Amino acid sequence: MIVSMKRMTLVAHKADEAAILNALQSTRSVEVIASGDEGDTHTALERADARLQALGDALGTIRPYSQKRGMLDAVPEAKATELAGSLPEAVALSEKLGVLVRELSTTKAEIEKNAELIDSLRPWAAFPADMQTYQSSKRVKYYTGLIAAADVEKLGSLEATAEYQLFNEGLTRTCVVACPLEEAKSVANYLKALEWTDYVFPKMGGTPAEAMEELSEKNRMLNAKKVELETELSDSSSGKRELVEKAYDAAAIERDRAFAATELIRTSATFQLEGWVPEDRVKQVEQAIRSVTDAFYLDVRDHEEDEIPPSFVENRPFATPFEQVTNLYSRPDPNGIDATPYMAPFYVLLFGMMLSDTGYGIVLSVLTALFIKFKKPTGMSGGFARVLFWGGLSTAVWGVLVGTFFGMDFDTLLGTTNMFPLFVDPMSNPIGMLILCFGLGVLHILFGIVLKMKLSFSRGDWQSAIFDSFSWILIILGLIVYAVPTSVQGIPAFVGTVGLGMAGLGALMILLFKGREKKNPFARTISGLGELYQVTGYLSDILSYARLFALGIATGVIASVFNELCKMLMGSPILVLRILGIIVACGLLVALHGFNIAINTLGAFVHCARLQYVEFYGKFYEPGGRAFRPLGYRTKHIRILDEASSGQN
Amino acid sequence: MQLEWGTIFAAAGAAMAAVMAGVGSAIGVGLAGQAGAGVVSEDPDRFGSCLLLQLLPGTQGIYGLLIAFVIATKAGLLGGGSALSATAGLSLFLAAIPIAFGGLLSAIAQGKVAVSGINLVAKKPEEQGKAMLMTVMVETYAVLSLLISFLLVNGVQV
Repeated sequence: MIVSMKRMTLVAHKADEAAILNALQSTRSVEVIASGDEGDTHTALERADARLQALGDALGTIRPYSQKRGMLDAVPEAKATELAGSLPEAVALSEKLGVLVRELSTTKAEIEKNAELIDSLRPWAAFPADMQTYQSSKRVKYYTGLIAAADVEKLGSLEATAEYQLFNEGLTRTCVVACPLEEAKSVANYLKALEWTDYVFPKMGGTPAEAMEELSEKNRMLNAKKVELETELSDSSSGKRELVEKAYDAAAIERDRAFAATELIRTSATFQLEGWVPEDRVKQVEQAIRSVTDAFYLDVRDHEEDEIPPSFVENRPFATPFEQVTNLYSRPDPNGIDATPYMAPFYVLLFGMMLSDTGYGIVLSVLTALFIKFKKPTGMSGGFARVLFWGGLSTAVWGVLVGTFFGMDFDTLLGTTNMFPLFVDPMSNPIGMLILCFGLGVLHILFGIVLKMKLSFSRGDWQSAIFDSFSWILIILGLIVYAVPTSVQGIPAFVGTVGLGMAGLGALMILLFKGREKKNPFARTISGLGELYQVTGYLSDILSYARLFALGIATGVIASVFNELCKMLMGSPILVLRILGIIVACGLLVALHGFNIAINTLGAFVHCARLQYVEFYGKFYEPGGRAFRPLGYRTKHIRILDEASSGQN
Repeated sequence: MQLEWGTIFAAAGAAMAAVMAGVGSAIGVGLAGQAGAGVVSEDPDRFGSCLLLQLLPGTQGIYGLLIAFVIATKAGLLGGGSALSATAGLSLFLAAIPIAFGGLLSAIAQGKVAVSGINLVAKKPEEQGKAMLMTVMVETYAVLSLLISFLLVNGVQV
């Protein structure tokens, strides 16, 4: 159900500002909105942001050194007030880690640089002279460089003017060419025509061999330093993960509060807070403020025309997880209706039909129940886990109705004859199954149209309820009734005529009144005809429910194929091979069925969601609401317990 | 040697269903895998979401396998079958056409959407659900092909 939102204005003493914000945060019920000019609190927000950033970096540093949390370990819980206590130590730690990380990265960069120098000097190892002083002569020009081995012979033609010397073997060879200064230009030009690359020695004294030795020595020391830094890093990181996680969340909570503080208007002695609060939480909010101070003014009013309240929904426990499915599509418009409670039963029903295997349903429900019990997930993953839990139960029921258990027939399993399936066997009676799917589809779609009618009536727009919605119910039902006498025997023919009459009446209503705002009768009929064309849309919507059947047989047939494969493995006439086959088949069965469950659960989940979004929501749902984001505890690592454990959320 | 045309047609149909749908899925999953690897190289935490999206174009291959298996069982290709009439065999071959072509083309198209979806997840991780939904929209047509292939195979009188 959509909860109506109230606009609140709070004025109180500035001295109480921090305490009041803290109290409001603990109610998790107020969304603070901007109320105008900028305050000086931006620096506080920047500080809070910087601290959050630093702690986030520290967490990134620590992560490789700490144990991973197990799949099933629950998220740790703490009260908001406890978290803040971990801040000082964690901030100190994050500063220390920051220094270590910076030092480590400069050390690593230096090692890298030295290693590169050594690599570039290696071909020159045989060069006998000092790298800086060999070309001090005033009459001789030296060219140092790398030359392709194939071009070395061509240097021979320089013999008249220049000398050259090579220092290594290989494809590119290090080479020094010396010539008198006056020949320098022609030699340079000649070299340019060859595959020649100039090489400049690094600014180091001694021969290249000496320089390499020096650099390696440096790197040895740096490596020792690196190891030292790494041990220090891992020592100071180990066991600190939870501390830093707590501090990170504490910092996030404070940052959110600082952010809310930037939205306030201040005078010299008071501050004013504007925000949204759900109608049923107003009392709670007032109490929270009263626990801090008596000196305040609180005004709560309905929203005005030009104000768009956030959309906030509350549902009964069964439907609550399905809000996540709706959120995946879009939040409801605050003026529309919340579709979740209507969608949830259909979701469970259709999901079960797509998987329709008792064994798979039980596995799915047990796994999600364990996940919920031990991991205690909230938010999106918690919602989906619960949706899958209900889906699993429904799958188990559908499995009995169509008679499959892990791809096997219930009859062969229980030794009964023809007791199962209780309802319809998709393999022997595919048309019956298809009709069942379309029937459910019609029901689903009609329900959507009825909701649209309800919405129109509640807005006092009876014309659109009757002419735009009810007319379609007449058409769809009428056409179905019309088809009944031809397909089912023993039904008198006049029933069909009645159906045709209903459909005709519906069509006539659309034709005459669809364009009721238009004066021109011609234009009216045209827009009526356009609307009637929608019948193809309804047809394709109904046909779309064939996927229920297709996904159902996909699961069932894949499961039975896997069973067949494993039966073949176990069926060898040779005893040793049969024993081996049985062992392999057991492992294989678990893996294959696990795979089938995973892939078909994914398929059922999304295809079921699609049926809700396109075929069902398309009829009546008004999307586009903005999420309600109250000032609260949006933490990443620690779940915040309520101070009084009042059972909220 | 006397050729058993019925059996040959049935085998060809089963092979076509498995091969074409499988090739489509391989291409689709391959495309999505490349995009996924690129995203994971930037942000290893995205691996789970990328893998889910990569998996989606893989179902067509399974559908193809499924139809291939149903045809093979029906035609007695997995042992212990009697000779199949040419009409029945050719019918089974034709029944494989929807999933073979529907699977091939929809898997490729779905792979392309999955690539875009993976890019979407890279930029906005919280929108993973929407990326998955868009990808699954394409699969509708593979599901419909599967359904028709299955009904046709089921309807062939052996």
